[in-house]
Parts: sequence; C-alpha cells; structure tokens
Amino acid sequence: MSEAAMAVVKPEMKSYIWVQTVDGSIQQVEEEVAMFCPMICREILQTGMGSSKNYAISLPQRVNPAIFGLILDYCRFHQVPGRSNKERKTFDEKFIRMDTKKLCELTSAADSLQLKPLVDLTSRALARIIEGKTPEEIRETFHLPDDLTEEEKLEPLRNITDDPRIRLLNRLYARKRKELKERQKLKNVEVEEERVDERSVDDLLSFINGVDGDTKGARTNKNKKKNRRRKDNSRDPSSINANENLNKGLSALPPVCHNGAVDNVLGASTSNHSRNLTAVNFSPKLEFVDGDVDDDLDPAMKEELDREVEDFARRLNSDWPERMQEILSLGQERRLIPISMNGNGSTVAIVIGVEVIVIRSL
Amino acid sequence: MQRIAFSIPEEVLEHVFSFVHSDKDRNAISLVCKSWYEIERWCRRRIFIGNCYAVSPRMLIKRFPEVRSITLKGKPHFADFNLVPEGWGGYACTWIEAMATAYPWLEEIRLKRMVITDDSLELIAKSFKNFQVLVLSSCEGFSTDGLAAIAANCSNNSYISGTCAAVPIVLFAADFQVKIESVNLRELDLRESEVDDLSGHWLSQFPDSFTSLVSLNISCLGSEVSLSALERLLGRCPNLQSLRLNRAVPLDRLVNLIGRSPNLVELGTGTYSSEVQPDVFSDLAGVFVGCKQLKSLSGFWDAVPYYLPAVYPISSRLTSLNLSYATTESPYLVKLVSECQNLQRLWVLDYIEDSGLDALAASCKDLRELRVFPSDPFGLEPNVALTEKGLVSVSEGCPKLQSVLYFCRQMSNAALVTIARNRPNMTRFRLCIIEPRTPDYLTLEPLDAGFGAIVEHCKDLQRLSLSGLLTDRVFEYIGTYGKKLEMLSVAFAGDSDLGLHYVLSGCDNLRKLEVRDCPFGDKALLANAAKLETMRSLWMSSCAVSYGACKLLGQKMPRLNVEVIDERGPPDSRPESCPVEKLYIYRTIAGRRMDMPGFVWRMEGASGGNCQWQVQAQEASRTKKFTVAWHIQLQLWLVFELDVILFLKLVSTFCRLLA
Repeated sequence: MSEAAMAVVKPEMKSYIWVQTVDGSIQQVEEEVAMFCPMICREILQTGMGSSKNYAISLPQRVNPAIFGLILDYCRFHQVPGRSNKERKTFDEKFIRMDTKKLCELTSAADSLQLKPLVDLTSRALARIIEGKTPEEIRETFHLPDDLTEEEKLEPLRNITDDPRIRLLNRLYARKRKELKERQKLKNVEVEEERVDERSVDDLLSFINGVDGDTKGARTNKNKKKNRRRKDNSRDPSSINANENLNKGLSALPPVCHNGAVDNVLGASTSNHSRNLTAVNFSPKLEFVDGDVDDDLDPAMKEELDREVEDFARRLNSDWPERMQEILSLGQERRLIPISMNGNGSTVAIVIGVEVIVIRSL
Repeated sequence: MQRIAFSIPEEVLEHVFSFVHSDKDRNAISLVCKSWYEIERWCRRRIFIGNCYAVSPRMLIKRFPEVRSITLKGKPHFADFNLVPEGWGGYACTWIEAMATAYPWLEEIRLKRMVITDDSLELIAKSFKNFQVLVLSSCEGFSTDGLAAIAANCSNNSYISGTCAAVPIVLFAADFQVKIESVNLRELDLRESEVDDLSGHWLSQFPDSFTSLVSLNISCLGSEVSLSALERLLGRCPNLQSLRLNRAVPLDRLVNLIGRSPNLVELGTGTYSSEVQPDVFSDLAGVFVGCKQLKSLSGFWDAVPYYLPAVYPISSRLTSLNLSYATTESPYLVKLVSECQNLQRLWVLDYIEDSGLDALAASCKDLRELRVFPSDPFGLEPNVALTEKGLVSVSEGCPKLQSVLYFCRQMSNAALVTIARNRPNMTRFRLCIIEPRTPDYLTLEPLDAGFGAIVEHCKDLQRLSLSGLLTDRVFEYIGTYGKKLEMLSVAFAGDSDLGLHYVLSGCDNLRKLEVRDCPFGDKALLANAAKLETMRSLWMSSCAVSYGACKLLGQKMPRLNVEVIDERGPPDSRPESCPVEKLYIYRTIAGRRMDMPGFVWRMEGASGGNCQWQVQAQEASRTKKFTVAWHIQLQLWLVFELDVILFLKLVSTFCRLLA
C-alpha cells in the first residue's frame, strides 16, 4: 500500500507528522509525540511543514534514524501527562543504559532538537561516566586523541612510579632477584654483621666519577633487624655475609641494548616490589661494594661469574655518548649530582640491598 | 589504527561538564585533549589553589577567564604554631588586584592563612558586582575598617542620577538618585582571623536595605560590637542560617539577637556566663526551642553550669557541639553531652575527662568527629583525669568515629593498637601527647608499634599527626601502610634520614609533609627529590638539612621553590654543611615569588628563578631524564659491583637506551 493510501485508511484518525532524517528517509510520527520536541514543534507552527510526505520536516543533521527512534521512545513515554515522577524516573534510568558512543549521539541529537529534559538526562549520564576517571581512561572511553603538549599539561607530575623506564628497571631486577634467590637456595650461609658504610653522598659520587682514594674504605652494607611483618614475604632475611665482596656478580643479563628484548623480561610487577621490599630496613648509608675478589667464594661459582662478566663486557659497546661525557665533565667540576630515588626508585635501592645480600650469601 | 572520536558539539560538552563538580574530575577533563582543555577552561567556575605561590594570578586568569569562586591558601600549616615568622608572605593583594579587573563577576573569595589588607577589602567591596561570599580563615593584616568597607558596599547598589519616573525595582526615589538593588553579600565569615579591632561600629555600615545575609561569623573579634546595630541587622535578614557571635556579646542580650532568626541552623553564642537569672534562663531555652532547625552550637565562652541545661530541650536535634571554650567541670559537660544522642561532632576541653568520654561512647553512637583540647598545655602535671583510656572508650563505643584530634599526657602502644582495631574506618588521626618524646607509659618503649597499628588497620587514613617517643620504625610502618595518607605531621621523632626516606618513598598519595625537630638530613631529601614534585609542600624546621643540600635541590629541581627561612642571617655566611633553620619546599609553575622577606632565600640554579614555563619544562624534563639516568647508573653499579670502567660502559649503554 502506498503511504498516502495508508494515511487515508488509518482507523484511529490520529494525526501524523512527516519528518525526514539526514539520510533522506521519511517517516511518520504521531503528532503528540513529535510535538514534544521543541524544534519540530516550532517548525510545524511557524512554517506549517510536516503535514504531508512532500513537505516533511527536515531534521537536523545530527539526528540519524536509529537515534531518532530512541528519541521518539523517550517522547512517547514522557508526553503522556498522567505519569508519576517515580515512573518517569524509572523509565529514564532504564532508558539511559546504552554504550557511550550511542549516548554521545543521543546527547547531540537531543540538543539539536532542543529537547532539554533529554539533554539534561544524557548529559548527566555522560558526566557520571567521566567522573572518577583519569584523563587516559576518558580518552579511551570517548576515543579522543592525546594531543596536549607538555606545556598545556599544567598538572603536576604524577607519582614517579609511572615512569616507564623505572618500570623497566624494576622488571630487570625482579628477574635477576628471582635467579639469585634460586641459587641461594642451594647454599647455606652464615649470618654475620656487616659494617656500616659511613661515607657521605659526596664521597660516593666522587668515587663513581673516577676520583681515586676510597677503594680501601669500601665496606659492605649492613642490614639489621629483618623484622618482616608481611606474611607474603618469602625472602630469607638473615643471610648476610660479612667481608666478602663479590666481583662482577653478573648473571646472564638480558641484552640491555635492545629495548624490545628487555621489555620481554616480565618479572614481578612493580607493585610486588613495593610490597616485598619496603619491609626491609634500608640503611641510609648507601651501599658500597669493594671491587676485590672475594676469597670465600666457591671457585666454581667464581669462574662462572667471571665468564658471565666477560661475556657481558664483550657485548658492551665502547662508544661514549654525549651524556656520558656530560656526566664525567660534571664530575670533574666537582658539582654535586643528585641521587634521585623516587617511589619505585627507592624500591630499587632496597632491591639492591637485598640483591647484595643475596649475592653475598652465595 | 585511527579511532574516530565520538563527536559531541562544544555547547553540549560544556553542558555535560557543568554536571562535573569535583576539582579532581575537572582537572582530569582538562587533560584529556586539546578541545576538551579549551572547553573546560572556559566553563570552569570554581578554583581551588592550595598554595597561593604555586601559580600566579596572571596564569590563573589567562587559563580560566570565567571564574566565579576562588579559594586560596597561603602560609604553611605550621604557621598556626608560630613557626612561620612574621612577614613570611601569603599576601592576598596581588590576587585581589588582578581579579578585580579580570573577574568583575567574581562571587566568592575564600582565603586561608593569608595576609589581606584593608585596601584589598575595599577593592573587593567596590570591584565585584555580584559578590556574595567572603570567608577569611586564619587570616590577618586587616582591621574593622576593612570590614566596614565590605559592609558599606555589600549591597552593590547602582546609582542612576537624574529624575527617573518609571524605573523597575525602585527602593528609594530621592531627588536625583535612584538606587537599584542587585545581588548582595550572603556570607561573611572571619573564622579565627586576627583582626585589628578598632571599633565595633563597622556593623552599622550595613545599609538598611541589606537583607540578604545568610551566614555571619565574627567569633574572632576581640572587642564589643554595637549590639543595637547587630540586632537591627539580624532582625532584617530573614534568611539567616548561621550566626557566630564573639565573646563580648553578653548572654542576656543573646535572646534579643536571635529572637527574630527562627531559621538558624548554626549558632555560636557569646559569653555563656551571667548571674543566675531564671528569666534569662527560660528565655534562652525558649529561643533555642524556637529555632526549629538548630543543629549546631558553639561559643560557650566561660560557660557556667547554671545555663547549660538551657540546651537540653533541643539536645536531641544537635549534631555538632563545640565546647572548646567551655571551662566548666566534668559532670556538667558530661550531662550535656549524654543528652545529645545524635551528636556527630564534638569539640571539647579535656575537662570532660575519661569518665565523660565513657559517657560519650555510651550515648552518642553517631559520633564521627572528636576533638579534645588541653585546658592547661603548659602545666607540668596533669590537671585533669584524661588519659588514653577515654579515647579507647570512644573508639569502642562509636562505630562511625573517623576523625580524631586528641591531646593527652600519656599513651600506650596497647591503647593505640586497640583503637586501630576498633576503628579501621578512621580517616584523620591526630594525637598530641603534650610532652615531646613521651614513651609508652606502661612499657617505656617507643610508640612505633601503636602508630604502626593505626596505619596498618586504617587503610583509608588521610591525615596523621604523630607524637611521643618514636624511632625510624614508625616511619617504616607509615611508608609501608600509609598508601592513602595525604598529610603527615611529625615532631620530635625518628633517629635518622631513614625515617624521612620511608615516608617520601612509601606514601604514594602524600601531598603535605610537615616536620619539626627531627634528625632528618640531606640524604633522604636528595634521594627523594623527584617525589617533592608530586606533593604540594614540604616543611622542615629544626632538622638536619644542610644549606649545601638545599642549594643542590634548588639547582636541580626548577619546578620547586626551595625556600630557606633563616632568621640568623644569610645562609652564605655559614658553612655549607650548617643546617638551615627552616625549609619550605613547594612545587610551583610560577617561579620565584616576588615578595620574599629578608629572612627567606630561594635556592636556585644558574639560570635564576624566573624561568619561562617552556624553559622550566625543558629543564625539568631534562632533569627528570637526567635523574632517572643517574639513579639507574647508581643502582646498576651497586647491584653488579663492577669495577668503575665496566660500570661506566654499562651506564653508557643504558644512557643511549634512555636518550
């Protein structure tokens, strides 16, 4: 049947308004429902359009047929005068449940039709979606680009544990620690008190920068009081060895030259680190290790370690990048360089404490 | 893999944002992308600036052109304990001047611990056409003359001269002037400010046409105000909901003052002492009953037992009671408190004693906040029977207790552990054992375990103040468990840098740290330099941080202001290893501040403090990269115990990795 015929044959004698959506398709809408939209209402009253198919009201570009269908559902419900507030609220709450994309389309469409109650409803729903999310999460949800410059991000630095390089380092350590722990299980070592390192930050820095003088003063770290209150801490606290100094205690280091390869080293997560490591007493004096060979080392182990070191040394490049020059030259100027151990950085330091302990116990 | 953004027109987005209120969410929105940043900044109406030196007025105005409400905080919290010398800063005038031209439609100004002059108050009074709320919390620098200016101009009347016949909203038709009333002041709150009280007549400056007052707090004023002017003012303001009078208002006048304010929700009485007069008593009780919305009572200066029962008829309505000026003895306080079954907040002097707190625990099951202040903090011996037992009692009896400020003279680990176990929902715990370094009185041990239990069990703890004998161990606990901790106050605690290191490295959400008289030095501070950029501020006084370390920190961290406060004279005149008197470090994007007094020095690098944002950003990112690279080098060295050459080679590879 042609639509014109249908219009004639309709038994209820209802009035219909003709509207055309942006894709060209034309449809009929019950008059009272259509009039609920202020924009349509105005079009009818001011221009007389909508009375027939040829004079269908053109809906704004943002209103596609699917969305229009939703809007009609909304209007159809709410234009009925007898409904209670509770009913309306319940309807709204159910109505609003849809994916974010559709919600955005609906908000835009409702706005172009000037349907304020629906705009408010959808806007509030979007606001609730936004609340509590980080900018990254919001970007994900709404498919938005990350195009702000550093300048524009006046937001202060996030907690430094987010730094990907720190995470990378921690993964490295986690794997190394696991390996060393395995080795440690094979051994039984005595505990001995270690001497505390007394040197200041300055000394440490000058030492690193190649100024001789303090090699004889190198002492090993002391770690006392391994009171672990954490049940999940599986580390053995008490294995500390005194005067041994490990040389080049390298296990197979993942090829550090390649970012990608290192990334594959997925050891314990960073959170694991903070949990396991903050239980350790960290000596404020930075740990020093002597470069001398340790006599207490198992010769076989020592040999293995020597081999690993050589291996690693071979793999290293001998180029000095500018940054290295910078560091060295700074050292020569005797300018102090800060040691920055941040959130996970200090975790790393403590890792080191444990690492050293573990190494020592071999 | 290009994603198509869900498109929402700008006006619609702005409408969506209008339903997002919290600063955190608004900040998140502005960091999403360029277009959201732009839209958000134009529709941001409410700004909170926790440190007035973290950003400049110019930057604020440039970024947020349509602000209607601003909150600014100035001096560090320890200023409350006289640790910040006079003249340190926190001046509001640059802000007020900038906003007077940039934000003509500003409605609300809230300042805390700032210095504001009468001139600024006058400027406020004259510049903002729609001004509604002025809150000056713990501020100073102004007098009642400034208040008079606010009062006189609070109606923001516009005058049209000439003969006008048909003008809407005509109030007074004088010969050649017609006043047109616009929106008026709603709230004037001077809580705990230091006002130069020149006269009480400023209240008369409120014009007779002024009727819009909703909240008035003059409790900090020392001298008498004109009671008749006050009476007239209150009488013509039907919407008055909150009124806090000062001590000088006598009790017998209270009835007249609030007689015509039936909508009062909060009332702060004046002096609550008078000769025994039964009619005054019954009038008072009557007036209390007449204020059917009354929920909060404060004031009660010098409260005498005779008049306390006037409150009984409304005691079940009360949710907040501030008796911290009520120097009455325990039994009367106890009786009053026991009547208030729905009490949520109680501030009281330690006259309440343990027995009173037992009664509180038994009666007030809805209690959320308890503050017990010392009646005689400088006495050597306890003057009241208030011990840790009272707090334990309350922690047992009040399941909703989440905020505590408690002054006492003895504490034990056992008590703290019990409190922690009882109240894992605690969010603010401030314990002040009056004598520094007081150990557990039962075992004579440090209170590490007790506070450790607090941070361990109270997982949502946001604010913590420590006291008593404490070693580095307590900081280890705090660093381990205090993951939600935002503010920490420490005094006379710890043994070494380790303590500070634990806190700075472990407390992920730390925003404010204030330390006094602790043996914290350079190492922990330098090792955690980057952490400082994630915090609002760090205060350290009478600690062991050397001038050299401060200089280093200032040089390397351009986005921090490292300010040394030293009243002994320039730190240059002493050896670099000499500890500084006081240190205040805060993150900022505004560079060095221009109003530093002679005893404050900013530590800065060669480039000086006034970097442009770009330079700062570059430097910061370089520094950050640099510090990351450096620390990686160091850790590697320590782990692998290489000899220096090998180590440096290893480092070079890592550096290239990072570059």
